[in-house]
Formats: sequence, C-alpha cells, structure tokens
Amino acid sequence: MKLNLTTTKRGSKGLSPQDEDSSLIDDEKREKRKIGFGFWVSIGWMILVVIAAFLAPVLPIPDPDQTGAGGRLDAPNWDNWFGTDTNGRDMFSRTIWGSRVSLTVGFFAIVFGFAVGGPLGIVAGFFKGATDKFLSIIIFILFAFPGLVLALLIISLLGQTLAVVCLTIGIIGVAPVARLARAITISISEREFVAAARILGSTNRRIMIKEILPNVTIPMGALAFLGMALAIVGEGGLAFLGLSVEEGFSWGKMIVLGSASRTLQKAPWVSMFPIGIMFLTVMSLNYAGDRLRDFFDVREMGIGGG
Amino acid sequence: MGFILKRVAQMVAVILAATFLAFAAMNSLGDPLFNVVGFHASVDCDAVLAGEIEDVSGQGGTDVGDCEVVEAAREKYHLNDPLPLRYVRWVGDVVQGDLGVSFKNSMPVTTIIGNRIPKSIFLMVVAEIFALLIAVPAAIRAAYKANRAFDKSATVSSFGFISLPNFALGVILFYLFVVKWQIFPSRYEDDDFFSRLRSTVLPAMTLALPLAATYFRLLRTDLITTLQEDFVLMAKAKGLSDRWIMFRHVLRPSLFSLVTVFGLSTGGLIGGALVVEQIFVIPGLGRTFVEAVIRDDFPLVLGLVTVISSSFIAINFIVDMFYSVIDPRVSRET
Amino acid sequence: MADSLISVEDLHVSFLTEQGSVRAVDGVSFDLEPGKSIGIVGESGSGKSVTAKTLMNLLPSYAQVEGSMKFDGRDLREIARKKEKHFWGVEMTMIFQDPMTSLNPVKRIGEQIAESLRIHMNRSRSEAMTEAGDLLEQVGIPEPAKRLRQYPHELSGGLRQRVVIAIALACDPRLLIADEPTTALDVTVQKHILDLLDDLRKERGMSMILITHDLGVVKGRTDEIMVMYGGRTMEKAPTSVLFECDGLHPYTEALNATIPKIDTPSHTRLVPIPGKPPEVIGKIIGCPFVPRCRYSTSECLTDMPPLVEQEKRHLCACHNPVSTPEGIKARETNQNAGHTPAGLDMKEFETSAARSDTGEL
Repeated sequence: MKLNLTTTKRGSKGLSPQDEDSSLIDDEKREKRKIGFGFWVSIGWMILVVIAAFLAPVLPIPDPDQTGAGGRLDAPNWDNWFGTDTNGRDMFSRTIWGSRVSLTVGFFAIVFGFAVGGPLGIVAGFFKGATDKFLSIIIFILFAFPGLVLALLIISLLGQTLAVVCLTIGIIGVAPVARLARAITISISEREFVAAARILGSTNRRIMIKEILPNVTIPMGALAFLGMALAIVGEGGLAFLGLSVEEGFSWGKMIVLGSASRTLQKAPWVSMFPIGIMFLTVMSLNYAGDRLRDFFDVREMGIGGG
Repeated sequence: MGFILKRVAQMVAVILAATFLAFAAMNSLGDPLFNVVGFHASVDCDAVLAGEIEDVSGQGGTDVGDCEVVEAAREKYHLNDPLPLRYVRWVGDVVQGDLGVSFKNSMPVTTIIGNRIPKSIFLMVVAEIFALLIAVPAAIRAAYKANRAFDKSATVSSFGFISLPNFALGVILFYLFVVKWQIFPSRYEDDDFFSRLRSTVLPAMTLALPLAATYFRLLRTDLITTLQEDFVLMAKAKGLSDRWIMFRHVLRPSLFSLVTVFGLSTGGLIGGALVVEQIFVIPGLGRTFVEAVIRDDFPLVLGLVTVISSSFIAINFIVDMFYSVIDPRVSRET
Repeated sequence: MADSLISVEDLHVSFLTEQGSVRAVDGVSFDLEPGKSIGIVGESGSGKSVTAKTLMNLLPSYAQVEGSMKFDGRDLREIARKKEKHFWGVEMTMIFQDPMTSLNPVKRIGEQIAESLRIHMNRSRSEAMTEAGDLLEQVGIPEPAKRLRQYPHELSGGLRQRVVIAIALACDPRLLIADEPTTALDVTVQKHILDLLDDLRKERGMSMILITHDLGVVKGRTDEIMVMYGGRTMEKAPTSVLFECDGLHPYTEALNATIPKIDTPSHTRLVPIPGKPPEVIGKIIGCPFVPRCRYSTSECLTDMPPLVEQEKRHLCACHNPVSTPEGIKARETNQNAGHTPAGLDMKEFETSAARSDTGEL
C-alpha cells in the first residue's frame, strides 16, 4: 500500500468482528506507556535528597546537635531556613542529617527484603510443586502478622539498633517481595525462551540466573521504590512508638519531638518541615514506583503493612 | 458446608503456625527467665551445682540462693520442658481463655487486653466507616465523569494522601483541630458514647484519609473498567437511567479489589492505630503494646501478638467468604 | 418517505483523537419501513457498529455526530438531548455481539429481564417476574421458572443470547438493532438464533437492523442490504436484487467470496480479502477500498464515486462495478500491469487462490 490516503494502524487479517471503538482504547493504552515528566521530577527530588544526605558533613550547615544555632523555637529565617527547635538547634541542618537514618533504613530494609524475598519467590515459582507449596506457606504465615506487630515482636527481642530496625522492616518486606517474584517467575517460566533454554540443556540454576532473574528484576524495580517509601514511613511509625533507633535521630524522631503539644502550639515548623520533606520524598518514591509499574504493566502488587 | 469447614481448618492452622513462630522466637531469642527473676537469672547455675562458685544469697537479706530462685521459676513456668511441649501447654491455656500473667504487674493478660481492646476496635471501626463513606461516593462520582475536574482533583489528592504517613497526618490534624482551632479535646474522654465518639473523630480521620485514598483509587479504576463492559452498554440500550446502572449494575461487580484490600489493609490499619493512639493519647492497645515491648513483658507481648494476628487472619477469612456474596461465579469448591 | 419508521440522512460520526479526527461514519443514509428489516454488512472498522450505536445514543461523549436521524418522524438527537425516559429500551433497543459479556454476571436472569418492565412499564416486582418467565418461553428457553433464578454463567452461549433477546423484547420495541448477534456463537446455534429473530420479528411486526460481517447471515433473511466500508455506504439494494448478481461493488464481491457455499466441498479454504480494513483519519480523497481493490483505476485514487443507482433499486458507489464493461476492463488492465494503480500486487489474489487449493493459510 503506497497510498497515503488512509493510515492503517491495526486490524486483523481477513474478517474479524470487532468493535470500531477499540482503536480509541488503544490510544489510551499507548498514552500510559509514556513514563512521563513527573517521573523525572520525582527522580530529581530523590537524587537531591540523597546527595544532601551524603554531603551533610561537608555542607555549610550548622552542626545538627549544636544548641544555640539560633534562638529557641525561632521561626524560619535567613539563618535558620527551617527555624530552630526547643534547644535552639537548626532545623534545616537536622532535617538533612535526619534523612541519613531514614534513607539508610529505607535502603537497607529493601536490600534485605529483596535479597531474601526475591530468591525465595523465584525458587518457589520456578520449581513449583512441593518447594513452591512449602515456601508459599512460609510467605502466607509471614502475611498473617500485621506489619507493625511483627516489627514490635522483633524489636522487643533484638533491641533498638539501626541494624535491627533495618532488619525488622526488611523482614516485613520479605512476604510481598516473594509473592511478586513468584508470580512473575511463574509467568516468565511459561515463555518460549525459558523452554528453549531448557531444551538446550541449561541447568535450572543457569536458567534462573540468566533467563529469569533479569526479567524479574525490571518489574521488581517498581516494587523497590514503593517498598522504600513504606520502609521510610515504617521507621517513622516506630519512632512514634518510641521504638526506632535509640541513637541519633531520623525524620520520624524529629516529627515526634516537634509534635509535643507545646512545641506544636509555639513552633509548628519544628514538625512541619520534616513532615513536608518526608512527604515529598515518600510521594516521589510512590510516584516513581507507580509510573514504573504502569510502564512495565506489573499487576498483583503486595500491600505491605506499615 | 464442607468448603467452609475446610477454610476454617486452614485458618486455624495459620493461626497455630503464626503463634508458634512468635512463641518460639520469644522463647529462643528472648530470655523469659530474666523477666521473671531479674538479676537472679544472670547467675551461672551449672557452675554453682558443680561447686565451682558459691551461690550467693539474694539481695535484700533473704536466705534464698539465686539458683533456688531460678529453679523455682523454671519449675513454675515449666521452662525446663522442651519448646514444643511448652507451646502445646500454652495453646491449651489459650483455648481456655488463659494467656498467662503479666510479668510486671501480675495481672492476667486477658484482663489487660480486655480493658484496652474496646477503644482500639472502636477507633478502627469508626476509621473504616469514615474511609468507606469518603471513598465510595467519591469513586462513583469520579468514575462516572472520568477525566473531568472532580475526577482529576480527587485522583491527585488521593495520591497525596497515600504518600502522607498516618503519623504525619495525625500531627497535622492534631495541630489544626486541637492546638490551633481547639475544636476537639486534647485528652481522650470516655464518659459516655458521645464523648468517646468526639475523642475518636480526629484519630479515626487520621487513619481513614489515607485508607480512603487507597480505596478510592482501586474502586475508581474498577468502576471505570466495569463501565466499559458490554453489559453496561446493554443496560443503556435497555433505557435504564445512569444512576440505576451505576448502583444496580456496575457497583457490585467492581467491588473485588476493594474487598481484597479491605482485608489486607486491616494489617496496616492495626499498625496505624497503634501509632495514632500515641499521638492522640488514647489508652488503647498501642500504649500497652509499646510498654510491654519496652519492659520485655513476655506473656503480654505474646498475648497481644496472638490476639491481634488471630483477628487479622480471621478478618481476611471473612473477607474471603464475602467474595462469593459479591460474585456468584466464585465457586465455593475452588 | 413519510411512513418510514427510521430514517437516517447523511449521517457523519467522527471521534476526536490525538492523531486527529477519526471518521467512523461518513455520509450514510437509509430508511426502514415498519415491519421491515435491513442488513448492514461490513468488516470491523466499516462503521456499521458506530452507526448502530449512534442511533441508540450509545456513543461516548467525545463523538461528533452530524446529519439527521428520525424515528417515526421524531428527531433522535432531540430525544437524546431531552433525556427522554421511556424511549430507548421501549421504542427501539439493541442486542450485542457477545452474550457472554452483555449480561451482567452478578445479577439473576429474572432480574435482568424484569428490571426494564418495572422501570418502563410500571410493573410490580412479581408481575414483572411473571412476564419475564413468559418472555423466556417465547424465546424458546425450556424450564423458564428455573432459569429466572439462575445467573448468566450457568447458561450456555446460545441460551444466553436467547436471554438477551428476551430482555430486548421485554417492552415490545418497534425497532430492534442486532449487532452481530450470532458471531460469538457456535455455527449450529447461529442458525437457531437467526431463525428465532426472524420469527419474533414477523410475529410482532417489529423492524430490525441486522448488523454483521458475514454476508451469508443476511442472505435470504433481511429485506434490504447495505454494504459499508470505511464509514461509507458502498452498495445498497433489496436482498434479492443484490444476490441476483452477487454484488456490483468489488468489496461486496470480495465479501461474497468469503461465504462458505453449500455446493463446495467441506474444508475448502475461503478466499480472504487481501489487506486490512482502513481507519480513516482526517479527510480522505478517493475511494477507501482502493488499497485492496483489483478493479481500481487512477480515477479511484482521487474521486470518491457517488452512490448511484446502477441498476433498478440497486445503488452502488463504484467507478468500475463488477461485471460492467468498466469493471472488466479495469481488472484486465491491472492484471496486465501486474499491480493496481494503488500499488497492490495482483499476485495477492492469486496466492490467496493458490493457498485455497492446498488448504494452507
């Protein structure tokens, strides 16, 4: 067809009874396929936050623990962008320093959740049968605990160090990660290239690492973003229960300190700035994760308790 | 009936497995002995028995040696028995309504939980009601006029609420309605139903808004999907009004995701309630739980984990049953 | 024609998309007298379903409709704008292709029939239910009382389509639009459903628009046939007239070749039409069928032929209708050149034929 009178976009060979409207729905689907400007804005914000956290020691900001960086409960001003807290500590500096604990928890919790849940899910989905049943039951039982209850149980046993908090939130993440990995593995295992690899005599181990892992990784990336958001929020929740890290401070702990009635009355900014920054970060993670999920069309997400 | 029995058995099995996990973890990782006898537990009794060191008598001038205290405690709490046996004994007690005695104040765990749980349940029920009252009408409106102004603003704000942690929302609401405008009391009042309701509105809203955002997004998507179904076209061809079609034809088949997440989100709701109770100073399970964790009150922590997890499992079980009510196609046999 | 039940004149429907405006229906006109039936035939994308949905006021809001549609002398668009309550579903109604999806899966069959009666005819719940049972009996469903209490998934496809028909007939409509009513069904069931529709139509003196991609479905059933392609009417004639010559328009001829014939041996491959149906974006010049037509001449590329009466009561929009001297000449010219002016390789037709011999496709 050399003629450009008409554009033929789709249509089946020969005769097929199909709704004329379907082509319009296709357009909508294609629209979804774009990752969008918002995604890059979210990524930009995350990079900014991470860089600030890394560079905190060398940034020209006051020591976060230095009292008297300004007056007590000063409103935001040129010297103290986010104001000061009850001890006269600079809230801007504290917000940056506080991100270090929050982001660490977010990152390592997800690393743990994926390092354990990913292989668990892949193995369960790949071998099916008894292995799958056994691992599925474990996943199922982990799901039986409301997230925070599991966290309280673990922290009551292991204490309140940074490592334990990361581990705790990571364990909560194992079940949803494993479930998604399992679902994706099952669908990929049925595809031709896996069958081809099998016929060519690849070992199970090789197929899992070479064929399945790369295909699981991409859609799981979306879950990583969403999970990191949940982990950061989870740490905040623990802080409100007084069970987050004992040493140092996180966004969650800062919000707790700022939410005392009296502080809230005189200086709402002490809690509102960390809330705002945390909100933007969590929203960026959620948005980026959501876009990725739509982009790769991943269904069946686990809802982790937080 | 066979189907329901099978599911009940499954549910009981999961509860047993979960509680065993918690029980085993508490017994092997924690040191229950320490909680009962305090410093006495630090004495190396094997060494004493071997005569290597002397059993110093306890502080406070008692004549009882540390090892005797430890031995008595071991005996009393059956700590010398193997783990599975202790678990079976514990389950036996739980079935009879005995969750043991708190190490700290010697009150029965069931009494402590019984005192605290109504406030937490009330909070969560009110929160769920709020969430549904917000989410369902909003989703119907948004889906009916998809991509119009209301839909767009509701979709954007729902995304915001999902990203706002409930403790952050709690602090914001507390600041606005309690500190600044003083519309709601700052203390939890529990004189009668209305004062309790008044005290519960804000914390319930704190829990409800993010939940409503999740419900809204799911229901909206499902409604829009259902609206594209042929049977909706057919209903229009029958000359049914939009309202009739929406409520009598579209709503029910669109409830699937909502119901699933209703069950799953209970876990998050429970966690959220524990946190929000701290912000609004509600004497519910949250405070008790935290205190129990900080004080290593082994029976109380285990009791709370048991009660909360079992309720969570039971709720999801009921939700599962509910599927066949929504959709007759869900076979009871599978 | 004053006594037409439905009269459509110069109907244009387009959808606004990002790529531009898609013309789904482009200047379609037809009349239907009370008690008569018309078959609208075409591939997917031909605009036949959109035409039907336009009549039923079922198009999405972003569709742009122009032209006149009258039902019993009343302007359909006016009725739609006033949101008249007891018109659609009562005066005219429509049934859809797939009975699997056009019934609500979570409502009992009885309710789905009875609700129209309750809403439009003011029946009580029990009256409506009794009538629903009668309707099920009329459409030939055994044990109607039992079926009323069942859910759609408990019924076979054929029975479901009967239920759909019962629903459509509930308020005794004067016009029924059936959009591919048998396409999703087994071949053996198809005939039963078509016969049922025929019988009911005659019994009730109802008019019917039967929409299908299968020329065989309308053959010998409807009073008139309209063939659509690319949103335009290609050919229109009384059924008997059209089948006298197996179609004047090359597209009709091609459609006709896809019908299984009784006298051919079984497993004979049918001849598919090369190419794909178009989706028309923006303004088109020339005939939309050109890219797939072996009778095309250079004229066809630039001028859309008007719909004219080629023979008595036989309208056709083609410069070179089949079996006319122009048509035969055009085909021979193309055959000699090896391709059509639009660049279609004439071998496409041969390979189709060759494949049909070996049974491969």
